[in-house]
Amino acid sequence: MEKEASQLEKDHVHNVYEKIAPHFHDARYKAWPKVQQFLSDQEPGSLIADIGCGNGKYLHINSQTYKLGCDYCFPLVESARNDGHEVMVCHSLCLPYRNECFDAVLSIAVIHHFSTKERRVRAIKEMARTLRVGGQMMIYVWAMEQKRRKFEKQDVFVPWNPSPPSWTLSNTCLHGIQKSIHQKDKRLALDQHSAKLAGTLKAHRQARSSSFVGEKETTHNLFEKSLRWSLFSRSLESVLDLSNQWHQRELSAFSNCNIQLDELNRGKLFEQIRQGGFMKHISNLSLGCRQNSEDNASEVAVEPGSPMICHPVPFKSCCSELGQDTKQPPMSPAIIHDCSRVCLPDLVSHQKDVKQQLKIDYHPKQSAFRQLQNRRKTDSSLQDTDNDCSMATWNKQLQRSPNGACLRYYHVFKEGELVELIEHHVPELHVIHSYFDHANWCVIAEKIHMWKI
Amino acid sequence: MKLLTHNMLTSHVRGVRPGGGFPLRIQATEVKVNNVDFNQEFVARMIPKVEWGALVEAAESLGHLSDLPHELPPEYENKEDFLRKVHHVLLEVEVMEGILKCPDSGREFPITKGIPNMLLSEEET
Repeated sequence: MEKEASQLEKDHVHNVYEKIAPHFHDARYKAWPKVQQFLSDQEPGSLIADIGCGNGKYLHINSQTYKLGCDYCFPLVESARNDGHEVMVCHSLCLPYRNECFDAVLSIAVIHHFSTKERRVRAIKEMARTLRVGGQMMIYVWAMEQKRRKFEKQDVFVPWNPSPPSWTLSNTCLHGIQKSIHQKDKRLALDQHSAKLAGTLKAHRQARSSSFVGEKETTHNLFEKSLRWSLFSRSLESVLDLSNQWHQRELSAFSNCNIQLDELNRGKLFEQIRQGGFMKHISNLSLGCRQNSEDNASEVAVEPGSPMICHPVPFKSCCSELGQDTKQPPMSPAIIHDCSRVCLPDLVSHQKDVKQQLKIDYHPKQSAFRQLQNRRKTDSSLQDTDNDCSMATWNKQLQRSPNGACLRYYHVFKEGELVELIEHHVPELHVIHSYFDHANWCVIAEKIHMWKI
Repeated sequence: MKLLTHNMLTSHVRGVRPGGGFPLRIQATEVKVNNVDFNQEFVARMIPKVEWGALVEAAESLGHLSDLPHELPPEYENKEDFLRKVHHVLLEVEVMEGILKCPDSGREFPITKGIPNMLLSEEET
């Protein structure tokens, strides 16, 4: 079990971060206010460990303290280092720190990547070991109960998707939006237009309030909705259901369209968008949208239990229009093969009884909006000349060495689960506050003195 | 890697006796000295959190002892000269390239571009 758990995390956590690390440099990964507050509240001269620091987005907060970041992912650590932070590479289950040397420990979006309860407990205990008595630890884990995402199971694979399928339809969308932004009320125009595109005008009208915040919210909802590019509504079991033809089609379409998008027409299309002044608008909006989510709204595509519908035809037509060979899905067999190896230790016994038919939601109009988002992202990577891992390169890498690394494993926490985990298994920690924030269950716990008899 | 960071690091290789993985010996091939703004209160507060002997040993091994005494002087909080030296050693001296060696097991951890790699294989944990 231990070995399988470790292998799963290697394939579906470590390897994924390794691949997606180059995309973490942009502004979407912002510090959350409550985490920022926790750090700011630490006394001057405090020693703080950020376990799973990623590219170090929390390491610059509170210059009166000394922060040590660590992460398993070397490229992310390197990026933090380039920003002048003190960082190292290590595994969360074996922290290279002395006992009780930190005044505070931060664990943001880490514990949900451990695939067994035992390992989640161990990870928390290991952090507690490095915390001094009286010191505080902040833990954030992804919540199962989310407004905008529904999970069927607690153990899920969430695809990291750099580039969604089908862009041809968005051409139509693009022109429409370019036109509309010339109007005075750009926000409203965008809202209306996108609502129409998404076919959800009614719902969003209802949702919209007269206040600015309400309006903004609506736009965000729309974006977030549109950003669920398709794909993967599933629990582990469903990923394992490899005979599923829908699944295969979905993946092949996904990979084909990824590649063609990058290789063809890219610059031309971006230029069009830029001229329309839309890029800036989109980027502002989507930035806001992302702040509302765990770390990247656009990557998350776990949908409610209701089956989704797949329309492979639009994918096909999109690909042929671009002169791409749609016969050979370059990535999907490998991904599927890889998934077949996946064995989730906690859930092995359930595998046999679940055979879900998985389908993708391909809505031509929604996809139009998805594409705009995608272009923005690709465009930013184009502008960044230092970033040698552009979308095209990245996709090619995927194509060349497909190992299923784009599926990230999460154990999403139910309400109360994190507190229970700490209270029942980590007696050296005392939970002083628990709350919900940015789709995460969060705990602030203090290390207490344990009397040993 | 600053020496304040080094002071928190230990090795947990399987078989190492409790506490035996500290302090890691530094074998540096590249050391850099940066200017960092001096903050007297910060340094004074940091000293009790530091394993003093390990700091002195590390500084000495890099040739940056900077006259630090082997014993922590009394009432150091108000001795600015002393605190400035500690500041220099803790925060300004950085190991860019080299290795950290576990004093107990001999396991070596590389430091590349200022980043220690403390990963252990599964067999080692």
